[in-house]
Parts: sequence; C-alpha cells; structure tokens
Amino acid sequence: MISDIESRLKSKFPDSLLNVVSKDKRITFSVKKEKFYSILSELKDIGFDHLSDVTAVDYIDEQEFELIYHLWSHREKIRAIVKVRIPREVPTVKSVVGLWTGAQMHEREDHELFGINFEGNPNLAELFLEDWEEIPPFRKDFDTRKYVKEKYYQEDEQYPIVKG
Amino acid sequence: MEEREIAFLTIPFGPQHPASGHFHALLKVDGETVLGLEPHPGYLHRGFEKLMEYRVHPQNCVLVDRADVLDPFSCELGYANAIEKIAGLEIPQRGRYIRTIMAELGRILSHITWIGVLSMVLGFDSANKIAWGDREKILRLNEIATGGRLYPCYLCIGGVRRDISQEFVDETSKALDYLEGQLSFYDYFVFKNETFVMRMEKVGRMSAEEAIDLGATGPNLRACGIDYDVRKDEPYEAYPEVEFNVITREEGDAYARSLCRRDEIAESISIVRQLLKNLPDGSYRVELGPECITLEGESYFCLESARGEKCFHVVSDGSPCPYRVKIRAPSFLHTLTEFPYLAKGSTIADIPAIYWSLDSCPADMDR
Amino acid sequence: MAYLTDKLWRTFKPFLILKNLFRKPMTLQFPYESLPPVEGYRGRHVLDLDKCTGCFICCMICPNKAIGLVDFRGRKYPQVDLGKCCFCQLCEEYCSVKAIKLSKEAMMVTMDKESAILGPEALSKTPTQ
Repeated sequence: MISDIESRLKSKFPDSLLNVVSKDKRITFSVKKEKFYSILSELKDIGFDHLSDVTAVDYIDEQEFELIYHLWSHREKIRAIVKVRIPREVPTVKSVVGLWTGAQMHEREDHELFGINFEGNPNLAELFLEDWEEIPPFRKDFDTRKYVKEKYYQEDEQYPIVKG
Repeated sequence: MEEREIAFLTIPFGPQHPASGHFHALLKVDGETVLGLEPHPGYLHRGFEKLMEYRVHPQNCVLVDRADVLDPFSCELGYANAIEKIAGLEIPQRGRYIRTIMAELGRILSHITWIGVLSMVLGFDSANKIAWGDREKILRLNEIATGGRLYPCYLCIGGVRRDISQEFVDETSKALDYLEGQLSFYDYFVFKNETFVMRMEKVGRMSAEEAIDLGATGPNLRACGIDYDVRKDEPYEAYPEVEFNVITREEGDAYARSLCRRDEIAESISIVRQLLKNLPDGSYRVELGPECITLEGESYFCLESARGEKCFHVVSDGSPCPYRVKIRAPSFLHTLTEFPYLAKGSTIADIPAIYWSLDSCPADMDR
Repeated sequence: MAYLTDKLWRTFKPFLILKNLFRKPMTLQFPYESLPPVEGYRGRHVLDLDKCTGCFICCMICPNKAIGLVDFRGRKYPQVDLGKCCFCQLCEEYCSVKAIKLSKEAMMVTMDKESAILGPEALSKTPTQ
C-alpha cells in the first residue's frame, strides 16, 4: 500500500518531490512550494482524511520557515508527513481550510506566534496574546529573557545575602 | 410604523474556575436559543514551547508535566520517548512495564476527576464529593511511587528515576478492587440517574464525517463509531504485550461520550492487573553516555492521553538544548472548533453539558 | 401487580442511603488528625555542612534558578529560595558528594516572602518529621 501511494504521487508530480522516505508505516515527503496545495488535495483524495497538526520551524541561518503537515488515514492506518520551505522575508502561503475545517485554528496560532500569512483563512485575529506590539514571539531573534528583565524587573536580580 | 431594531444579548460564559475552567466564551443569545459562540482562550498561556528552548533535556523532563495538569504522565512519556528515538536508546523491559502502569493509573485519575466536575456543573453535588474521595486512592499511590501527589517528576530519559517497592504493588491491588466496586456504584448513582440521562441524551450530537472534518480524537471520536486508538494502531511501550478492547458507540451524543469514558476505566483496571501479574525483574534505567549531550535529528512521537491523540515533534541541532518542540494538544481543537459548532442552535441550559462532555483541559489547550 | 411493586420499591429505595450514617467518614479533621507523608516524599531540603564542597552543580542544574551560593564560615554554601523551588529532586540526583537531600518535612508555611529564603544554617537543621 505504501509503495502504491509513492508511485502514484511520483508519476503525477515528477518535478515537485524533492525527497521521499518511507519507514515503519510512515511516509515523509519534502516538496517544493509551487505545487504543495495540489499534492495535499491529492493525498486527501487517496484517503488521508485526518489532519493532526500544522507546525512551523524557524531556520534563521538559512532565512527560511519550514511548514510541516501531519496527516493520518483511518482506513489504511498510515501516517504521511509533508514538508514545505518558504522564504523568511515574505512568508505567504495558501491556506488549506477548504480541505480540512480544523486547519483554521492551527493556522491562526502559527500566524500569531510566527507571523506567517495564510491567504484564504476567514479569521486571523489574535488568539493568546493581547495588545502585543513587539515582533512575533516564537521567532529566533526574539530574546525572552531580555524582554522579561526589561519589562518586569527594572534592575538585575541579585540573590539577597541571608545570615543564618 | 417605525422600524424596529433587533438587538441580541451577549452573555459571558466566564473564566471562573471550576464552572468553565480557565476559559472564556461569549454567547450570543436570542431568548433561550444560542445563536453563536466566540471563544477567547489564553488565560493559561505560558509559552511552553519557547521556554523549553532555553533549558537542557533533564530540566525539560521535570517541567513538562505542567503542560497538562490533569494527566501529567502522558506529557512526560511523550517528551522522553521523542528524545530516546533521536538518540536510539533501548529501555529495559522492567522500565517499560513500570511506565505503562503509571500511564494507565493517570488515565483512571483523569476520568474520575471528569466524573466529579461534570456532576458538579450539572448541579449534582453529592457525586462530586464522592468522586473527590475516590481520587485520594490514586493520589496516595502516586505518593508512594514517586514522592509527589500531583506533579510526579518520575519518568526521565532512559527509564524511571526510582524503583517501585512491594508496598506499591500491594496497595495498587487493594485500590483497584475498591475502584471496581465504586464503578458499579457510579452506574446506579450517576449514569442511570433519570435527571442525568435527560440532560445528556440527544444533546450535542455529531456524525462521523463531521467529527473527522473538525479534527476530533479520543473518546469524542470513538463515540461516533470510528475506532482510532493510538495504543492499538501504533503501539508503544509495553502495550503490544497486553490484551484490551477499544470501546466504540454509535450515537455520537453527550451520553455516548460519557459511557465511553466509563467503560475505559474498566479496561484500564484490567490492563494494570495484567501488567502487575507479569512484572519482570531487572534494571529499570539505562545509563546515558556522553553522546546524549550533542543530539542531532528530528522525531515525531504520538501517544494516547486521556483526552485524545497527543504528539511531540522535537527538532535538535547538536546543542544541549532542543531547537524546536511542538506539542499537539487534543483539547485545542475540541474547545475551539467543536464546541462552537455544537453550541449553535442549543439552549443556554445545554451549554455546560456540551462543554464538559468534550472533556477539555484549559492548561492543555493554551500550553 | 408488577406496576405496584415497582412503584413501592422506587418510593422506599432512597431511604437505604441512611446506612451511610453508620460508616466511617471519608474526611479527616485537619489540625487534629492528619495523614503522615510516606518514605521518599519530596519536602524541605537538608544540607550536610561537612560534605558540601561548593562545586556549584546544584545551582546549574536547578530549572528555576532557586539555588544561589553565599559566603558562610569562610567558604561558599548553597541557599535555597523555597518560593521558586519546584521540588523536583534534581539537585539531590546530580550532587557529586550527596550533601543536599530532600526530607519528609511538608509543613512550610510563612506569611512573608523574605523568610522563605533559607540560608545554609537554616538548611542544616534536622527536619521535624
């Protein structure tokens, strides 16, 4: 079954697949940005109807974000992982809300914490943070410790000397 | 005739604990019917995933059980397994059995807490107090094995931190016999109570296709007829060596979800009994070598917590601290997509019954 | 007839709950009776002043930075801030000479934050449980 899925996708999208690894009932695809939406809708037609998660990782040295989609098929009991790289300066990508309704909340969380723009998402309002004016906090150039020291502790904390 | 303006009333389903947990929702009502619901999460957001990038792996193992307060063993199990997959470590058999026993005891504790809070929110205070007394048996077992009642800090990379004693095995057998007697009491007192059945039957119903599309997992999905349980489909720890059933129901309403959880308590009791009977001897922890300081790789580990499917995605780049940790929390989608969908068209009195039958924990949702 | 017996049974069944009057209660009256903690409970820290070498490992491994080093009797010893400590026992596990341990003492109540910082002399007192 896994080899059928691999060969079907390789024949339909010969240029977009960069790397395919399959081991222990899991397939991992690394794809290029241009056709990733068609690959995801093809996987949904094959039978991957459960979207677990939409994860974002910040690779600041290579100036890229990586988006990872985790899928599961209830009928065949196989897991599929799709990885896409997008540029860090202009992080804009098409939303997958049309395929899975539950993706809307995952994309809203990634937009607030990383600053990635999803086109087609009906509601990208803030979720956890209120009145936030700095850069998106989960990026690698935001230093949590420096922010907390400046905002909440006006000088460096010293351990008080206690006798006895 | 002058034009009349129709205005809707907005009522807060407020963040007072424990009526709604630490979670705020705005209801838009017209008379008694609810027209829409807007959730406002974020009261317990601590930024776990960013804070874990500043600490080394032993420190993270001890702090991660605050990510889901009502079922802490599942968080520790997930993080430890994800790191061991990158490092390629093999856990000895006694360590795997002890980890599975503690995970199942955590599941029973979470379900008993759920019975207590659901009864209190429906107005049934007696069942709440009795459930809180039954919780004490399992908290005492936690104290004997790990030294702490609510936050165990017990599972670490390579196995468990202490061995279990003969006193723990004897006390566990006595506690399991007591809990089995209490289950038949709860059947008569809570689950077949006429008021409880009238308030929960045919309320908050979803079909199987809607549940899969909205991203449901755990007992919420199994009550609609789909048998998805990570312990059977991608087994981990000592689960390949025990026998148990996956509980499913057909109706998909709040009463079916409650009966699914009640039957899961009985299955967990039988799993712990099988494991205690066949407990092997040997070492319970593997010594870590110096290669665990500089790990490089990526791994994705899924497990079945009391609420649903929980996954850990860990990326490590060669330094002692992890590069990125992502926790897929089951309560995130239950509260933010399913609850607004099911609340449309119901009455105000049904809102607590729907919310607590989905069993969401705000600490799990916000991380 | 079956309807009548069913009705009679449902009317008198709730009175069976009175048997709970003769059972032991589930609660304990706290200041007068309490459950003692078990062996291995994670409570207050105890420091052995002769064994400690001032090597700084417990300060480095603490996840919340609750341990600091102070001067005492001419050498460096640890002091613990109980307000920040999460009682995880990592300092005992990583200490190279086994000088700092967690005891069973669980009653640590105070009304001001300054007295929650225990210096080396307060840590070396024997625990009360």
